[in-house]
Amino acid sequence: MEKLGRKLRIGPTDNTSYERTPRENLRIIPPAARDSFLPYSRVQPGIRLGENDLTRLAPDLPRADGDAIEMSGQILDDTGQPLRHALVEIWNANKYGKYAHDLDGYSAPLDPNFIGLGRMLTDEEGRYKFWTIDPGCYLARPDINRWRPKHIHLSIRGGASRLITQMYFKDAEHNDTDPMRIVMGDDFHLNIGKQYETPNIDVERGYKFDIVIRGKDSTFFE
Amino acid sequence: MVKNNMNDTINPTNRLPLTNEDTVGPYYPICYDHDDRMDLTKSIVGQQFEPKGDKIILRGRYIDKNGDGAHGALIEFWQANAQGVFRTEDTESSPEIDPHFDGYTRYRTVTGDFELKTIKSGTQLGRAPNITLTLFSDGISRLVTQVFFENEISNETDPVLMSLPQDKRDKLIARLVGEDDDNIPIYDIEIILAGEGETPFFDDFLALGWRD
Ligand SMILES: [Fe+3]
Repeated sequence: MEKLGRKLRIGPTDNTSYERTPRENLRIIPPAARDSFLPYSRVQPGIRLGENDLTRLAPDLPRADGDAIEMSGQILDDTGQPLRHALVEIWNANKYGKYAHDLDGYSAPLDPNFIGLGRMLTDEEGRYKFWTIDPGCYLARPDINRWRPKHIHLSIRGGASRLITQMYFKDAEHNDTDPMRIVMGDDFHLNIGKQYETPNIDVERGYKFDIVIRGKDSTFFE
Repeated sequence: MVKNNMNDTINPTNRLPLTNEDTVGPYYPICYDHDDRMDLTKSIVGQQFEPKGDKIILRGRYIDKNGDGAHGALIEFWQANAQGVFRTEDTESSPEIDPHFDGYTRYRTVTGDFELKTIKSGTQLGRAPNITLTLFSDGISRLVTQVFFENEISNETDPVLMSLPQDKRDKLIARLVGEDDDNIPIYDIEIILAGEGETPFFDDFLALGWRD
């Protein structure tokens, strides 16, 4: 019988997941073709000073509404090597659960002091640090009253590693009914930021979110 | 509670558990798009340098189960140069690397459609010319496949195409549909994400126990 790869799961109550998830199993990649499935990114955009502080639009402008928080962590590959000089992009909703993005039609208010986008490059140890606003949750399925719990989106790209993921908050409202959280199952804890105190800096609290990403030689587990 | 698909596949060595992939959601920042990203035949915009190889245009669209475009998705493109060599950390200084060809780009599609101007990759190690396409989208974490080109003899022996049943092979072969004003051939592919006529996608997390 032909060997097949994983069958992807459809996120419950997620219409887009229902429409876009392949119904057939994934296919096994022949060993001779594996390298061609390992993209290598050399992206290094020009980044302006302060692009990792989302809490104000410029140093002397007012703070956005809500609690300013720090999100920081280290990005390692699964062998424990730091991912250096990788591009980390984050985006999140404002205090009211509204994205400034053109396509967000949610009725919550925009905050004129919050755009909600940040990016930076990791340092020599693979570390990153952002200041942002503690995001609100938002109503994703008004027809069945299903909300998305608060979360911060991240995209990471560097060398042969890249990942798109989200950081969640411990015991937050609506965590349990979130489709992707349900698909993650017991591994959900890997995507929760660990809260820490921030006594000496101008934010309410911090969340440590260490990330493990597939490394250069670890794409294929054998 | 069900186990996560991705970490299921980790073998019992001392690897760290991977952070779960998640959907990109509908709101990836549009402002991180750059207009030049869908032309890999210009390594530096405004300069005359061009990569070696035959220019082509790959036009395509991602379609969902209802036949609608996968709007708002992020598409990543990855391919070898005209000699069939990928530009990576290990090959960066190799004489086989074309300094004017990158081979990687990422694009946020508004409608599900895309149009990439590039060069046709060379054949090496028995591979037919191909482009690896990765889709990040709302509702799914990541989907990977490879696109090939009509009328390439090497398609007949390519290991990826050969690993598929005949009707699935055809789903990955872009059809020659014409040429643009500069006589650059235009290839066209429709990628069906789910349901009838579904395009084959590949598993780059091989599950333990499934190896040959
Ligand atoms: Fe979101």
